[in-house]
Amino acid sequence: MNVGTAHSEVNPNTRVMNSRGIWLSYVLGIGLLHIILLSIPFVSVPVVWTLTNLIHNMCMYIFLHTVKGTPFETPDQGKARLLTHWEQMDYGVQFTASRKFLTITPIILYFLTSFYTKYDRVHFVINTISLLTVLIPKLPQFHGVRLFGINKY
Amino acid sequence: MTQNSASKLLNRDASQDKKTCGNGFVKSHCLFQQKRYRRPAEKNHHASCTSLLYNKLFVESFEETPLLVAVLTYMGYGILTIFGYLRDFLRDWKFEKCHLAREREEQKDFVPLYQDFENFYTRNLYMRIRDNWNRPICSVPGAKMDLVERVTPDYNWTFEHTGKVLKDVINMGSYNYLGFAENSGTCADAAAHSTVKYGVGVSSTRQEIGNLDKHEELEKLVARFLGVESSMVFGMGFATNSMNIPALTGKGCLILSDELNHASLVLGARLSGSTIRVFKHNNMQSLEKMLRDAIVHGQPRTHRPWKKILIVVEGIYSMEGSIVRLPEVIALKKKYKAYLYLDEAHSIGALGTRGRGVVDYFGLDPSDVDIMMGTFTKSFGAAGGYIGGKKELIDYLRLHSHSAVYATSMSPPITQQIITSMKCIMGKDGTTLGQERLRQLSENTTYFRRRLHEMGFIIYGNNDSPVVPLMLYMPAKIGAFGREMLKRNIGTVVVGFPATPIIESRARFCVSAAHTREMLDTALNAISEVGDLLQLKYSRKYRGEESSCFSYLESHQD
Repeated sequence: MNVGTAHSEVNPNTRVMNSRGIWLSYVLGIGLLHIILLSIPFVSVPVVWTLTNLIHNMCMYIFLHTVKGTPFETPDQGKARLLTHWEQMDYGVQFTASRKFLTITPIILYFLTSFYTKYDRVHFVINTISLLTVLIPKLPQFHGVRLFGINKY
Repeated sequence: MTQNSASKLLNRDASQDKKTCGNGFVKSHCLFQQKRYRRPAEKNHHASCTSLLYNKLFVESFEETPLLVAVLTYMGYGILTIFGYLRDFLRDWKFEKCHLAREREEQKDFVPLYQDFENFYTRNLYMRIRDNWNRPICSVPGAKMDLVERVTPDYNWTFEHTGKVLKDVINMGSYNYLGFAENSGTCADAAAHSTVKYGVGVSSTRQEIGNLDKHEELEKLVARFLGVESSMVFGMGFATNSMNIPALTGKGCLILSDELNHASLVLGARLSGSTIRVFKHNNMQSLEKMLRDAIVHGQPRTHRPWKKILIVVEGIYSMEGSIVRLPEVIALKKKYKAYLYLDEAHSIGALGTRGRGVVDYFGLDPSDVDIMMGTFTKSFGAAGGYIGGKKELIDYLRLHSHSAVYATSMSPPITQQIITSMKCIMGKDGTTLGQERLRQLSENTTYFRRRLHEMGFIIYGNNDSPVVPLMLYMPAKIGAFGREMLKRNIGTVVVGFPATPIIESRARFCVSAAHTREMLDTALNAISEVGDLLQLKYSRKYRGEESSCFSYLESHQD
């Protein structure tokens, strides 16, 4: 039971994405990543945007859809151990504000990337595949689904 | 009296129920309407609008986290996470020595015994600042205490005692509200006397042969102190909650518990098997909505009426320093015919003009609260808990409480300590010591809070609560604050995630009647110094001087 805690929240991970300032931090983080990539001297702007999109989607996939459980012990007897952070958010309630925000941000990043790469075919294919890897796990139908047994335990 | 004003409010509202406005819009029947506009800068900072129920100003403030601080806090946690992963990698590849429990080589192919990721936080964040907790104390935890000095050769994984003792560390962390944690004086002498007479152990449970005459005397005294018919005492405060709530509610009952209720209440509620619904902290609109929903819809599938609805609240919430809105809770409980369980662990002896707790603080009638629970650990300098209420209720608990049947009863010297200190507070020992201590506590509280506010720290909670949480926010500052305060000879308690929400880590001070003005001044100067060093003065309200960035701009304009 929540010994040593000041609240009766069973899994604090569910509330992290609703905390004050985290959306802003997230957007600033993407901006920082973009500026770092822009400062590499020999890459062109379209490549930088594609790299931003790819790295952002890869990190989002790892932290939201691959890492399972909580980095601290919870009193819920392990209910959240096999759930990714996306599935833990708001205890599995779909279409909350944070979920919508985290779905829309990669899409907006995709639009910007498509614009700045001038809709080049190779960039388009790469960016679309990357966007799909990050959008499909967010669908409500994919809650708790593990394809081919990957990442099951 | 407040009873009449509460019934006035209810009667007035009842007549309002029948009216509908001209255009057919039916006014909501709720007692406490949701306010349309909330100032976004602060939550809950308002003198109560339902002023009929309150006989004094109820000022609570929970200033919102500045956005820059929140972003930097997340950045801090992000950096710690990255370094945590790096260190885990180094430990896995044997570049770094691993101090944790690992499985044996032969068992590597078995199902894992230890969940690696669940200890991530403990390994990589908690261990770095572990020297702020579990500090061994080697004197009585009064206003000043002695600490054993510890050094760590390997960054907090192991500790060694140097043999030195840090003397006279100002104690800002003990729940010693009235200063009864002392080893000299009438209480200590009486407790020593009763040890000589009864011994230390009781060697039995209450129901078998552990029911001393001292226990009966204490129970009568507690009942008189609280203003209730009858009371029962238990050996352990945590066990009072966790063993008695299951005796009171069961399957088919509903428990409405506050968001920030203590672990003992949560455990008791879970053990009872009732349905638990959590309402937002101290939010009467949320509680009322839940009560209405519960009564209208009944039990989840069958829609049968609930057998009992029990509202569980605390007097003072020890992490926020907020006081429960008891007059409103009582008005709601009367309107919707629910029962009220009030846990006065921190507020008994610390609030109210006569020290009778939060009921006395608001000037309410103790018979309105069905079950009054409290502990003797905080203001009485002893250990254990009590439950007070009607005679039938307490007689029922004497038979059905797990604690009475299975747990050892309270030890005689502790019982005597409580009797003496309670008589002192009530004034029954013939001195005015109790009154003085109560007055000193409330003066200290007001002074301490006012000075911290003026310095520019963000303080949570009610202006009258002796628990003062000071916001630190960033994870590195938790460790830094604890250590810097210890360097200046002041012992504080710091708390971080996951015991608090992720960005709201804090240092919690407990003001005591045993603190003299000089001690508080020393502590405040040290806090101010550490606050300047660590840049903890985040508050945007009531600044003593101009904010430093504006003066910088001004000085550079010309």
